[in-house]
Amino acid sequence: MEPRTEAIYNKNIAITALVGILASLLLAFKEGVFSPVPLYGSLIFILILFIGHFLTNYLFPNQDPALFILCCFISQLGLIMLYRINSESALKQLIWFGIGFFLYFISSFVCRNWIEIKVGSLIFFITTAALLASPLLFGVELYGSKSWIAFDNVLFQPSEFAKITFSLFLADSLKNHKIEKPIYFFGQIFVVLALLALARDLGGAMLFYFAALTIIFAATSRWDLTALGLIGAGVAGILGYQFFGHVRVRAKAWLNPWEDVPGKGYQIVQSLFAIAEGGFFGTGLGLGRPDYIPAVTTDFIFSAFFEEFGFLGAAALIVVYFLLVYRGIKISLSIENSFLCLSALGITVFFGIQIFTIIGGVIKLIPMTGVTLPFMSYGGSSMVMSFISLGILNGIKMRASGGEADG
Amino acid sequence: MDKLKGNIKIIFIIFSVLFMSLILYLTYFTAVERERLIKSSYNRRLWEQEEKVLRGTIYDSKGRPLAETGFEGGSKKRIYSGGKAIGPLIGYSDPVLGRAGIENVFNGELLGISEQDPVTLLRQKILGVSERGNDLYLTIDIDLQKTAYDLFQGRKGALAAIEPQTGRILALVSSPGYDPATAKQNWEVLSKDENNPLINRATQGLYPPGSVFKIITLASALTHNPEIENETFYTPGYIKVNGSIIRDGQHLWPGEYDLTTAFRYSSNTVFIQIGQRVEREKMISMIEAFGFNASNRSDIPIAKSTFPRPPIIGGNVEMAESFIGQGRLLSTPIQMAQVTAIIANDGKMVTPYIAEKIVSPLGTEKTTAPKMSTTQVVSPQVAEKIKALMVDVVKNGTGKAAAIRGIEVAGKTGSAENPHGQAHAWFVGFAPAENPRIAIAVVVENAGSGGAVAGPIARDVMLKYLSHVIQ
Repeated sequence: MEPRTEAIYNKNIAITALVGILASLLLAFKEGVFSPVPLYGSLIFILILFIGHFLTNYLFPNQDPALFILCCFISQLGLIMLYRINSESALKQLIWFGIGFFLYFISSFVCRNWIEIKVGSLIFFITTAALLASPLLFGVELYGSKSWIAFDNVLFQPSEFAKITFSLFLADSLKNHKIEKPIYFFGQIFVVLALLALARDLGGAMLFYFAALTIIFAATSRWDLTALGLIGAGVAGILGYQFFGHVRVRAKAWLNPWEDVPGKGYQIVQSLFAIAEGGFFGTGLGLGRPDYIPAVTTDFIFSAFFEEFGFLGAAALIVVYFLLVYRGIKISLSIENSFLCLSALGITVFFGIQIFTIIGGVIKLIPMTGVTLPFMSYGGSSMVMSFISLGILNGIKMRASGGEADG
Repeated sequence: MDKLKGNIKIIFIIFSVLFMSLILYLTYFTAVERERLIKSSYNRRLWEQEEKVLRGTIYDSKGRPLAETGFEGGSKKRIYSGGKAIGPLIGYSDPVLGRAGIENVFNGELLGISEQDPVTLLRQKILGVSERGNDLYLTIDIDLQKTAYDLFQGRKGALAAIEPQTGRILALVSSPGYDPATAKQNWEVLSKDENNPLINRATQGLYPPGSVFKIITLASALTHNPEIENETFYTPGYIKVNGSIIRDGQHLWPGEYDLTTAFRYSSNTVFIQIGQRVEREKMISMIEAFGFNASNRSDIPIAKSTFPRPPIIGGNVEMAESFIGQGRLLSTPIQMAQVTAIIANDGKMVTPYIAEKIVSPLGTEKTTAPKMSTTQVVSPQVAEKIKALMVDVVKNGTGKAAAIRGIEVAGKTGSAENPHGQAHAWFVGFAPAENPRIAIAVVVENAGSGGAVAGPIARDVMLKYLSHVIQ
């Protein structure tokens, strides 16, 4: 690495650590008496941050260090908010963060050294379908959708992992820039979407649908299919509104939450109150009322963040997320192997759509769909999956720098 | 491969637009939508603020407290000292009952949460005065308000008095009233009372205006058909419009009337003839220019006074009825006070307002009066002519009961027929005629003759106000 770039990265690491220490000092005095727990947590986090950054830089000289720094910055803000809302969940999340980092390292390594084993798109499809079908068979129902599996006390959401295998499936199916067996290919996509719909995970179904549409467009350059896909999304939306009660509830809550504030509009209205309270500068850490917001550790963590950090903090967070997407796009542009290029794009697109959907949802720009905010929302599956995805991106970056090409 | 890279760039641009739209929407939200949401009564943060903040005091125009928060046995208590006379206007703020009236409309200001400016907030935090909300000074004079209320003697009705040149609301009475201090104890009785003491009739009561509406008919005719001034009209005591017969009051005799005598004795049949002279569209736009069908611009909620447009074909009966303030016309008392104020103010309309100023705990003052936008509704000449006719009504006509010795009073009476029994008694007027200081509208429900019942109330209120103002 050039000394100049290295200095920039080091500066970013230092700033991230500083933010963490300052926030943990504030949190230490949250209850009025000094509690060292947030400081310890912060130190553990910074330790992982430092080890992660310097170790991976040492072992993978070709890697993209920005990915890890960006996701650590976001994760740290998530941990701060979680500790502030419910300190117990923050400690669990810190463990997930550690596991996530470990898996990031592994997946970077595996992906870098992946020798074209001939696993066809079929395997990826079967894995995706199996992941999505498993909660239908063994799962438990939570928050109105059946997409969780419980191991002892740990809840596991297979659809998070299906995002990765689905990206790889799409990339492999489309690596020759055309749809080879349309009926077979669209049939497979339909099965994936149907499984999500069966689990009543509509946010997930929408995410997979748009991700597929984007990758198909990128790979095939078919404007006609893209247009058809967008029309299809509209039709599906209208049909969903007509036939599914919960779609109607969501749509109504979006169009006019004030019609039924104690009922349908409750969640979104509480979220908007929090954002309104935040204003440009925010109330300050610890001075907001996240306890008024439902599902605040998962779907609505952005609203709680906005309340305390204000427009300025939230806009900065959106920019950091955007930088993450930008790095992903840059990686996919840097590689000449079209399977890897589409894989990187798929993973990035999943991130991008998911971030836009959930932030847009909680601020009422678009209807609310229950998806997590990567690296910030409380939840092991989301954290671990996001890190693995990022590891794959990192691995692809290393292969690009290694000069991978096959046209 | 190049095509793929090109497509990826397109996708990147789309993501840039999407993320940008998030930030732009949040900018818009924070700059525009925010204030409304903060003040929303659904916002639980408000009640939390309520517990932390000492709610501001509401004062009358002379600085006498009407509602203030004090301590009673260590806990906060809202003390209302205005009594029944101002109860429906002031309203109440109570965690159980909710909020009503001024307490509700100015809740944000009284709690001091509408401060947007972070510098002010910081100053307040440093100086330690953030524990207090803003004080609100009303334009109402509590003495005048009480005098006016007592004149109703418990009868149902309302009174609105405003300063014609500015729109300052001088008194806003709704009878029967209630005392906010005891509202909680008496809630069961109050909420079930058939006389609806909880409603502020002056701003929310919708009444047929009856003959006081003839001012607008007259304004329209004098503006668009000025020749009627020199004409006389014959009436046999009734008029047929599309087969419907509308009659004059019993005090009128058949014969020839000129404009002055028709207005003096309030002849329905002549005013229908006069109104019919004016082109229908012009008449309608004049009625709307006087504030009917217009949305509220005042700083307190005022129900919309309505004039349903008659069908384009036919509708002659509806139009004829509206010339004399009957039919489907409905007006709030404050709207009729505003109509009167337009005549008093040389034809110019001002928006009525009730908040004189809002004073922050640091002493900074903020005026909330709606912008003094004045619209010329009728020309000063027409206003002058109507004023002369209104003076004549009090001198020689139906409004004699409102006359004040030594002060020239302009007025118009009305007895509005309604489906609930006896006619509503109306009186609108202003004084002194040459230099109006107060414009007033009084309605007493089901009390019969406007001149006899509402006129004296208006007279006493005007006299009381003027004896203080004019030395």
